[in-house]
Amino acid sequence: MPANLSRRDFLKISSAAAGAAAVLEGLPILTGGEAVSAAGAGSLKTSSNDVIVPGACALCPSACGTLARVADGNVVKLEGNPMHPVNSGSLCPKGQAAPELLYHPDRLNGPQKRKGDRGSGQWEAITWDEAIKTVSDKLNALRSAGQPEKLVFMVGDARGQLNSLFERFMQAIGSPNLVRNESLNVAAAKLGVYLTQGVYDLPVYDLENSRYILSFGASLLEAGPNPHRTISGISYSRRGRATRSKVILIDPRQGITGAKADEWIPINPGTDAALALGICNVIIRSSLFDSDFIHNYSFGFEDFSDEKGKTHKGFMSFVLENYDPANVEKITGVPATTIARLAGEFASNTPAVAIMPGKGGFLNGSISGVYAAMAIHMLNALVGSLDVPGGVLTQRYFDCAVWPDLPSDDVASKGLATERVDGAGTLFPLARNAYQAVADRILEGKPVEALFLYDANPIFDAPGGKRFTEAFKKIPLIVSFSSFADESANLADLILPESTFLERWQDGPIHGMGYPGVSLRQPAIEPRLQSRNCGDVILQVAQAMGGEISSAFPWKTFQEVLQFRLKDIGVDWKTFTDLGVWLIPGYRYAHRGSNHWINEVVGRDRRNAPRDGRFDFYSRELNCLFGGLKKDQLAKYGISESGDAVCLPHHEVGPQAGDASQFALRLNVITLMSLGPVSAAANLPTLQEISGMTVGETWNSWLEMNPKTASDLGLTDKDIVWVESPFGKLKTRMRLVKGLHPAVVNLPYNQGHTSGRFAGGRGVNGLEILNPASEPSCGLAEFTNTNVKVYRA
Amino acid sequence: MAKWSMVIDLDKCVACQGCSIACRAENNTPAVAPDQAEMGRAMRWNDVFPMPINPTEDTGEYPNVRAEYLPRPCMHCENPPCIKVCPVGATFKDADGIVEQNYARCIGCRFCTVGCPYSVRYFNWYEPKWEGDMILHLNPDQVVGPGVLEGPAVRPRSVVEKCTFCIHRLQKVHAQADAEGRAFRADEYVPACVQTCTGKARFFGDLDDPESTVSHLAKNTRAFHLLEDEGTHPKVIYLREG
Repeated sequence: MPANLSRRDFLKISSAAAGAAAVLEGLPILTGGEAVSAAGAGSLKTSSNDVIVPGACALCPSACGTLARVADGNVVKLEGNPMHPVNSGSLCPKGQAAPELLYHPDRLNGPQKRKGDRGSGQWEAITWDEAIKTVSDKLNALRSAGQPEKLVFMVGDARGQLNSLFERFMQAIGSPNLVRNESLNVAAAKLGVYLTQGVYDLPVYDLENSRYILSFGASLLEAGPNPHRTISGISYSRRGRATRSKVILIDPRQGITGAKADEWIPINPGTDAALALGICNVIIRSSLFDSDFIHNYSFGFEDFSDEKGKTHKGFMSFVLENYDPANVEKITGVPATTIARLAGEFASNTPAVAIMPGKGGFLNGSISGVYAAMAIHMLNALVGSLDVPGGVLTQRYFDCAVWPDLPSDDVASKGLATERVDGAGTLFPLARNAYQAVADRILEGKPVEALFLYDANPIFDAPGGKRFTEAFKKIPLIVSFSSFADESANLADLILPESTFLERWQDGPIHGMGYPGVSLRQPAIEPRLQSRNCGDVILQVAQAMGGEISSAFPWKTFQEVLQFRLKDIGVDWKTFTDLGVWLIPGYRYAHRGSNHWINEVVGRDRRNAPRDGRFDFYSRELNCLFGGLKKDQLAKYGISESGDAVCLPHHEVGPQAGDASQFALRLNVITLMSLGPVSAAANLPTLQEISGMTVGETWNSWLEMNPKTASDLGLTDKDIVWVESPFGKLKTRMRLVKGLHPAVVNLPYNQGHTSGRFAGGRGVNGLEILNPASEPSCGLAEFTNTNVKVYRA
Repeated sequence: MAKWSMVIDLDKCVACQGCSIACRAENNTPAVAPDQAEMGRAMRWNDVFPMPINPTEDTGEYPNVRAEYLPRPCMHCENPPCIKVCPVGATFKDADGIVEQNYARCIGCRFCTVGCPYSVRYFNWYEPKWEGDMILHLNPDQVVGPGVLEGPAVRPRSVVEKCTFCIHRLQKVHAQADAEGRAFRADEYVPACVQTCTGKARFFGDLDDPESTVSHLAKNTRAFHLLEDEGTHPKVIYLREG
């Protein structure tokens, strides 16, 4: 039910902080499209009934707060919600184009059942009752056969209570196989924080108060894990306060982030760990580190002896021995003098933050990427930037009401005890999810009976996604919740189209401010085209299954689930729906060593290492996993070092896909502000039109290349070229870009779709030729180590 | 009377193109066919592009390279060349200094698209089209009247259209103030691009009010106009990076 909220009511509630930025408004006096005289020459005609419905965008992980203007029953415009701290009233082009998603002509009309062979594109419309019965019968059959673990649920961006509902549903059924896509993007960064600070989450950077912002390949202004948050923070730090911040981007690609930074420093791809450690080296030698933090709240900075009396090398001596700027220059290509200058600037302009790429960059190459994330995070620790204003904060969340206990259930307990389908935690000891590995494991013989896809299009969005086409053939029932017949849904048996974010109830914990906050999606209009909220469908499936499962899900609608789980966040439902967002602003900094520090900031999520509030320069968590292993065992995990170096961040050359003598260039698949990471966004004509702004391309993909590289290869601007890796080749147009490392070529993501009337047949999908392998210790998709050659087509 | 002006701080602009698309959604400019877009016929009144247009020129040598990006609405010149070349008086400056277009009068000769040194006048080569239900998201606001501006209602084929500083928003806040029996306040009026700006790089207000934000920013040492030597006296003011 849309909240009927006029603009004036909204502003009354939302306080003066909402600002006077004119939120789109309905004019109650202008009824029935009647023209009235107004100032100026013409007279105004407008809708007769305008309401503003708060919500949250879903076209990238920022999930900015939105205000939908619903004019005479149609959503005609989105504005940013001024109350939402991530975007505070702004919206990027994806959010602005979102009404095209809502009214898209490719949207499916109600549940679709496959007719004919998979992929034949023939569908039969069925009723929701039939669809739900098909799914629940299948799940009941799996449970009666004692094989609930043969249900696999692959999930993209399911946040908040939807994520929690999925977890509970899978637990009730008895399958450990809820596979999120973090191994494609944020897992390396999360592991970097986990193995040092002991928190498994992306760090929050207090950019507004930072004096020095050192970004290692983080695409702060385009498409990081929370792009609007970083744009707001950088923008404020530049001109919103008395002193301007200094922003440095270290990245083989300049991009918009580098163009807007004070300094862009190109680096050899995949060598960020070495550079971060080189900077640490200078900071340590110059004694510019925070010695209170180092000596009282960290572990393993200096050499130490364990309980058996064996001495271990600490971070300081390891870094001093191995990462002299002169050595680092050889690895990274960054001049030693620059390294020394960066170290001096970073350590003497506190509060300073070193930012790891949450997504993109070159972290996903090998375990070296995880070591890089650790090393970058250690820079923050070294200068005492942890949990201080202008430093790195730890995201807090609202406590939700506790789910009722699940009934005891032997089938479920047995199923939950089985190995995960993706090998996370077993084959990949450090992994929590290994999205891309699902295909390999199925092809290796892991049996899967039913696959659910939520915001997951693995055939398109996983490197080497074609393997999923093969893997799908071994799965008897595939159910997609996509609103569109995307590449993966096209090979499904059932499509249960989800309502777009403008038509459904959903919450989203706010990430990026530190303090707890939650935003609320609500239907601006009733769901179009018989689409349903996936949360509702899951509840309906659970009801239809009967027995223990239905008793575990007593809620009739997903909205009821939200009301139940969010009842204690400190706001009544009416106010929450009126505002679309609820926060407890004001980050509570923890005193070093306090209970607050130990319980929430340092060591919170450690599974094996002690939760003693000490930041690990020597990772005890890694020691627990790899400590006793021999060199050959470590080699299997992609670690070339042995002994103490395994637990200390270091530069690993790592494997490369494609022999450098033949494939001389590194392929970097970049995410754009315009098309973003969500498959459906590529099918919006407006976003297609603006996608190639930086190089003057439109409705297409292109390969970015340094002019020097191009002239060495005998290529000129706009040549049609083949980009070939050991895994395949793609034909696209080459564009010269000066702000790019000569050994790297870039290809934008989210083109090369085979479905969608606006996206289909536009450009190429770079992921098709990326290394499809999984990194052996963390289960990361190992795609950023792919080498290619480029030649004229 | 006011002198509406926009200030764009390039130090805060992140070239996200939010302004381009906010403008599109607010003013019902259609996405054109891909081949037309390739020919440079896209209809984005408020475009963003690299400077220079061909980014391989003049941006230094690797690694000392810097790309620059420029968002560009209509400059709403005080001395607009487009008005002088219009043979039928279809484009005019209103009392508040906003350069408007009368679509009923426009004969589509495109003199103005050539006359404008900023290339911010867009010709409708085709009947605007939205596929299927996409037509439902069009902004219903219109400014109508005999012989005056009609916007942002969909413009027909063969006329030239342009940025109006979202003049219908100005009309709406005036109407709102009238309905509430109070005086109009300048800070109630904000064009869609300014409202959505992700970097909070855009400011809007009345240059005749010496206390307005734009008046203050116009005196900033970083302030400049595009193609100042053309003598157009733009009312869009840029602030330099850095």
